[in-house]
Formats: sequence, C-alpha cells, structure tokens
Amino acid sequence: MPLDYLDIIPAPSVKDHVSPEEWEIRVELAALYRLAAKHGYTDLGGTHFSARVPGPDDHFLLNPFGMMFAEITASSLVKVDVDGNILLDAGGHGVNAAGFTIHSSVHMARHDLICAAHTHTVAGIAVSCLNDGVLPLSQHVLRFHGRLSYHDYEGPATNLDERERIVADLGENNNIVLRNHGLMCCGRSIPEAWRNLYALEKSCEAQLQAMAMANASGRQLKFVPEDVAQATSDKIEARHGKDTVSRDWPTQIRRLDAEEPDYAT
Amino acid sequence: MPATAVDTVPSLKDKVSPEEWQTRVELAAFYRLVAQHGWDDLVGTHISARVPGTDGKEFLLNPYGLLFDEITASSLVRLDFDGNLLHESAYPVNAAGFTIHSSVLAGRPDVECAAHTHTVAGMALSAVEGTLRPVHQKALRFYNALAYHPYEGIADDPDECARLQRDLGDHDAMVLENHGLLTCGRNIRSTWALLYNLEKCCAVQVALEAAGDGIIELSDDIKQNTYQQFQRTLKNNQSGGSKLDGWESSLRLLKKQDPSFLH
Repeated sequence: MPLDYLDIIPAPSVKDHVSPEEWEIRVELAALYRLAAKHGYTDLGGTHFSARVPGPDDHFLLNPFGMMFAEITASSLVKVDVDGNILLDAGGHGVNAAGFTIHSSVHMARHDLICAAHTHTVAGIAVSCLNDGVLPLSQHVLRFHGRLSYHDYEGPATNLDERERIVADLGENNNIVLRNHGLMCCGRSIPEAWRNLYALEKSCEAQLQAMAMANASGRQLKFVPEDVAQATSDKIEARHGKDTVSRDWPTQIRRLDAEEPDYAT
Repeated sequence: MPATAVDTVPSLKDKVSPEEWQTRVELAAFYRLVAQHGWDDLVGTHISARVPGTDGKEFLLNPYGLLFDEITASSLVRLDFDGNLLHESAYPVNAAGFTIHSSVLAGRPDVECAAHTHTVAGMALSAVEGTLRPVHQKALRFYNALAYHPYEGIADDPDECARLQRDLGDHDAMVLENHGLLTCGRNIRSTWALLYNLEKCCAVQVALEAAGDGIIELSDDIKQNTYQQFQRTLKNNQSGGSKLDGWESSLRLLKKQDPSFLH
C-alpha cells in the first residue's frame, strides 16, 4: 500500500546482538542526532554524523538513509566498514555511502577521533563561503582559535582522491570548515563532538550577525587580541575531558530522556 | 490544536480513490511541514497537487481560510482548470492561488505539484537585484536553473498566466520578484525538497551578503560539475524523489506529533 511507510518503525532492538561497548556508543550517537535535530542542525535526510565502534576493527556507525535525525534510534544506526559496506542494518534502510567519503577519510587517519559530525546549516554554510572564515569575535569561538582547519571545495565529495587532501587539511585539529559547503566537527568522544558542534554553530551565527551590524553601521568589529585568544584557547584545550564537557552532556541527556526516550531504543 | 477545523470536515478517505487519498495525505503533510518550519503566512500562499486518474485535469488546493497546520487530507479542495470546485467545501480557494497554480500545472504537464511561499528570506532575496549566487554546494543545485518572474501586482489577473509560464520555462524553481518563492516537481516529495533547499539558499545569501564582501567564488568547472552531479542523481531516481529528502521519515514524525493531517 502506498502509505504503508507511515507505519514503519525505525528498527527492532539490537541491544542483545552487539557488545555492551557498541550499544553504549549507539545510544550516545543517537542522542547526538536528536540534539542536532532539536537545535536545527539538520538538512532533511542529508549529511552524516559517524562514530567509531570500540574495538580493533575499523567499523563505524552511520545514520540510516532517508531517516530524519529526529527519528533515529540506537538500533537503527547502520554499522559499516571503511568503504561503506553494510555490516549491521536492523532497520533495513541502507546508508548514503556518497557522503561517507569525508568521514571515512577522517576516521582512517585519526583513530583518536571517535565521532565526526558534518552539517549544512545556514550559518555554517554562510561562514564557509567567507574568505576570512571563522573570526575570533566571541568567547565561544576561542576554543577553535589556532585549532581550526579549512578544506577548499572540490565539487560533490565522491572522489576518493579527496580523502587524502581532507586528511592533510585537517592535520592535528579536530574541527574543519568545508569551504563553500558546511562544517565538520569531531571529538575524541561523542560529548566532545557535541560540544564542538554546538560552539562552532553558535559562533558562526553570532559572527554573521556581528558582521551584518558592522557592515551596515560602518562601525568596526572587535577582534579578541591575539594573546588573549591564544591563552583562552590553550586553557579550554587543557580542560578537555574535565568540567567543560562532562557537565554539559548529562544535562542534554536528561532532557532527551524526559522528552524523547525512544532515542535509546 | 486544529480540532475545530478537523471536526467540521467529513472524511473523504472512503469516498475517493486510494491514489487520490495518498495525494491528499501527502499534500496535507506538505502544508504541515511548511508550518512546522515557520514558512507559512497566516492563510496566505498555497501548495497544489494534481489528482491522479483525472488525465492531469484536476488539482487540489488549500481551503482558503485555514492555517497550514489546520489543513487535513479531507479539507483540501479539488478543482479544475476553469476554477470550478468539484465537491462541496466550507471554504473557497484563493484567486491568486488559482492563477499561480493553474498556470504552472497547465503549462507543465511534467509537473505534479507546485509550492509557493512568502518567507522572510525568500521575500528579501526577491527584493534585491541580482540572482541566487552559486557560491556553495547547496546553491549549485539551482546554478543557471532558477527562473525569475517580475512583480505585476496581486496575481488574480488571468493574463499573468502566460507570463508566469514563459518565465518559469523548463525550470523547477522560480523567484517571484518582490513577492516570494515557487518550486514545482514531478511529485510532492521532490517539490518539498526543492522548496526546503531554495529557502535555505535564500537564508544563506541574506546572511552572506549582509556580512559584506569577501565571498569565495567557485570556478566554472566546479559549478558545472556539481550541477550535473545533482541532475544525474535526480535522473537516476525514477520516482523523481530521493531518500535525501527524508520524506517518509518526516511524515512518520508528523504523525507522531499531530496525526490530524491524516483526517
């Protein structure tokens, strides 16, 4: 029947079919998708957030193809290898392997990065089109000061050669502006990827409004002085894994658990 | 909650063909998605779809006087290209809506659905000289493929039909200057995805151009290749939609939040 799709459930539970470590990362990644949906960091069924499955293999979790971020559950996440081949897909939705090129390049080169989140938001796209890129205009953006990479646009990211150039451009940073395209924020944990994504999106939004004000009024932007920016960036980096991440994430999980607990199924 | 409007319209589910019912449900969902994104305009603007099995000669339009988040499958109004309402309806259709949608659907036999909005970003872009700038991946979907129609006043003059058709040409998206946006597609879901993407492109351009100069331009090669890639993806998908549109998932989410559109 034509409207049968209205009754499809995301996926039966895989909790008893995967390791406890994999289940935990599935629940966290599903939470990240839901948080992104709540904050409007979505692009219909497009873009990916990926996570490395704990263990010796290069296996990753990806969103089920065609599913809005707000519908994604832990069990519906699809496990793939580095080439995008499907290893576990309980909901049978498949994956959009084309967009995985960017993610797989990062995951292959950077085993320390557990999660990579790519967005096409209005503010992220707009800042990605600016020659000057992300500017040191707010406290939020200083965590990225001197730690943000840029990759020039090459056309739709389906060319495997581009992987090497993305990896080279990312270098040792965890976050990258994909020029004329969008943003990608990674993390050594999913909570860290969330914190980076939230901070960079908000930074871009504030930067655009500041630039619009300055441009229209003829007044100057106030750049944070270089020494202050660098010292603040270093301080935030040194705190990684302590209060800045761990106090934020549980608040978001509490909210999800109360409002949409099905993400963890 | 839209309970009042829903209660007053009897269900057409068992009175129309399953194909028409599907079209009604999906078109009602389209209105709800537009409302959810804040892209509605009180009772203004309209989205239309052809009724299957009528040789393309009849279409559905919103009941004029309902908010988009009150519209249901059964309350959509069925009419022909002469403007005749083909069943009883407590609400008329909007005259400008009839002009715009009958022009697009009559002039483009390949089109099954057309959507028109008055969003802030769309209106803003439509009021500034120049075109949508091909400076990012999303905008390249519309590279050399976006039509423009000059403003002529409220679109209730049937003479505007021919000019709307001429300006749209073979394109599937058009800026109605000093007015808003229009997209049309081979089915309802692809028309939604086009509208979503065009709207987002307008929002990006508003932000970008307000920020001033210093925009990175792309080479002609990259622009052309990316546009071609979008076209190939579209052609490879026989239904004219792509799972990238998240359509089925969006409708399941709508159903979960407020199933009244299914009435």
